Amino acid sequence: MLEVRDLHVKFHNRDREAVAGVSFKLNDGEILGLVGESGSGKSVTAMSIAGLLPRKKCSYQGEVLVDGEDMLHAKRALLRKVQGNKIGVVFQEPMSAMDPLMKVGRQVEEVLAIHTDLSAEERKKRAIQALTDVELPDPEAVYDKYPHELSGGMLQRSMIAAAIVSRPSLLLLDEPTTALDVTIQAQILKLLKKLNRKHKISMLFISHNLNVVRKLCSRVIVMQRGVIVEDGLTYNVFFKPQHPYTQHLIECIPARVKLIARRSMEEENASVDGDQAAGEAGKAETAVSSRQAGNTVKAGGEHYD
Amino acid sequence: MKYVVRRILALIITMIMVSFLAFAAFHIISGDPARAILGMNATESQLKVLRQEMGLDKPFMVQYLNWLIGFFTGNLGISYSYRQPVSELIAPKLKVTLLMVLISFVIIIVCSVPLGLRAAQKSRGRLEWLRTTIIQLCMAVPAFFLSILVSYVFGIIFKFFTPGDFPKIEKDLAGAVKYLFFAAVCIAIPRIAMAVRMLKSTLIEEMEKDYVRTAISRGNDRTEVLKKHVLKNSLVPTITFLGQTMAEIVGGSIVVEQVFGIPGMGRFLVASISNRDYPVVEALVVILAFWVILSGTLADLINQKIDPRLKLGGRA
Repeated sequence: MLEVRDLHVKFHNRDREAVAGVSFKLNDGEILGLVGESGSGKSVTAMSIAGLLPRKKCSYQGEVLVDGEDMLHAKRALLRKVQGNKIGVVFQEPMSAMDPLMKVGRQVEEVLAIHTDLSAEERKKRAIQALTDVELPDPEAVYDKYPHELSGGMLQRSMIAAAIVSRPSLLLLDEPTTALDVTIQAQILKLLKKLNRKHKISMLFISHNLNVVRKLCSRVIVMQRGVIVEDGLTYNVFFKPQHPYTQHLIECIPARVKLIARRSMEEENASVDGDQAAGEAGKAETAVSSRQAGNTVKAGGEHYD
Repeated sequence: MKYVVRRILALIITMIMVSFLAFAAFHIISGDPARAILGMNATESQLKVLRQEMGLDKPFMVQYLNWLIGFFTGNLGISYSYRQPVSELIAPKLKVTLLMVLISFVIIIVCSVPLGLRAAQKSRGRLEWLRTTIIQLCMAVPAFFLSILVSYVFGIIFKFFTPGDFPKIEKDLAGAVKYLFFAAVCIAIPRIAMAVRMLKSTLIEEMEKDYVRTAISRGNDRTEVLKKHVLKNSLVPTITFLGQTMAEIVGGSIVVEQVFGIPGMGRFLVASISNRDYPVVEALVVILAFWVILSGTLADLINQKIDPRLKLGGRA
């Protein structure tokens, strides 16, 4: 699906490479977490994948293959065909990431207007379907609202709807929950997991928050100063960190939260194992309900991370 | 809808306040209108009769109300120097100036929006210094100098129109419009330069916003983003500016009318001030004030249509 090979990005006004030789693979239907502090190069990596690097302001080499096509060196025309169509992006601040003067519905269907020949009615139908998919109450009303009339959580749901309306195969999530409060954060994470299961969208989830990544991702990559320092299954990274930097990150999580995390993750592993014989639907439901149980217990400790 | 009603109510209140101030001011400075009309040789009884006739013996507030009602019904009083109703004197001049201002406003809008877009798109180009210089130059050239230049080049050399020979609107509308067009260009050029500069900097500022990145991530190219998202977001300050311009070009027209020999309101105002023809000056001042207030309100109403957040009284 997505493969990054030895990606280097250096901005002309900086001495150090923002990304210094990053390679990883994202499999179909996988949710991959990308963790690191500010300036670790995680966002730059995501922007390279989405074709949003300011090409004139930086030098870059390596390959970013999306379904076999190199996005990093692609011509703008080709890039535009992939942007929005194959790759959806959700940004950190839903308030500023949306055009304040365009109705939410129009922004959700913008991708369709660019990439498809659907009629206005068809587009509206699809947009409302997408708004329903992200579990917004009263999607018809949201369609006709301006961004300032919605809350942060509702806006971020709308942004996700705009990113998935064209059924992309890859969703890039650049700190999508950082600007939201903890309860909303948990809801959005749950929603993302559901969308991943329902529509088989691969996701690259970027966060500085290891505990948030833990709840969503099956695999985690830890970045520091432009390089990958750890890459493994979430459970292993979380409880058997190899690199000193990861160990340091894990140490910062309060013991109580860690304990609850271990419990809920083991529970989930068990439930997924036990479900394997059962149908797909049953599996999703158990996982979600066990997650819900975990979340209610955790709510108290969450703001430490 | 509620916002519109509120805005119009505010407009009316402002108009009443302005007209009251103008009336009070002219009431104080103009002395005795009866004597001004009849001259120094008039007898006391003649003056008394005229005062009664004009309602000058009534209390101040009653006089103001009569005047206000007169203003809206077209009865603006009698000119001292022409001994004619002010409304009859003003109407043809108002028509000329209004036509010129409208032409110049259309020129400003038609030129500044595309030029502003181009300037923003090319802002990192190699010829940026040249564009900036041209804009600065256009802003700096005074309107009267432009007027002289234009009437010399287009009037005397190319003979597109005959300077000083303004055709009557009623007889030759096309000729009048052609004549006014050249004057309107002179009023428009510095304004276009200002609007372009403002639109350009607003557009560049908007291009840095996060929603632009979102729009690009959806597969828009930069030109589409500019037209679909950024332009609309940059329009509010531009329309506020255009509203002010609409008001100010009436003032700017005074000089231009003078140079081109256009029998408009500006020239008439200057003449009436030197003649101390207070009823005329008073009427013109109030009309100008109303024009300014109206332009501002119109700009606000349009802005509110563009940006619904303005209804909340947030961003101004």
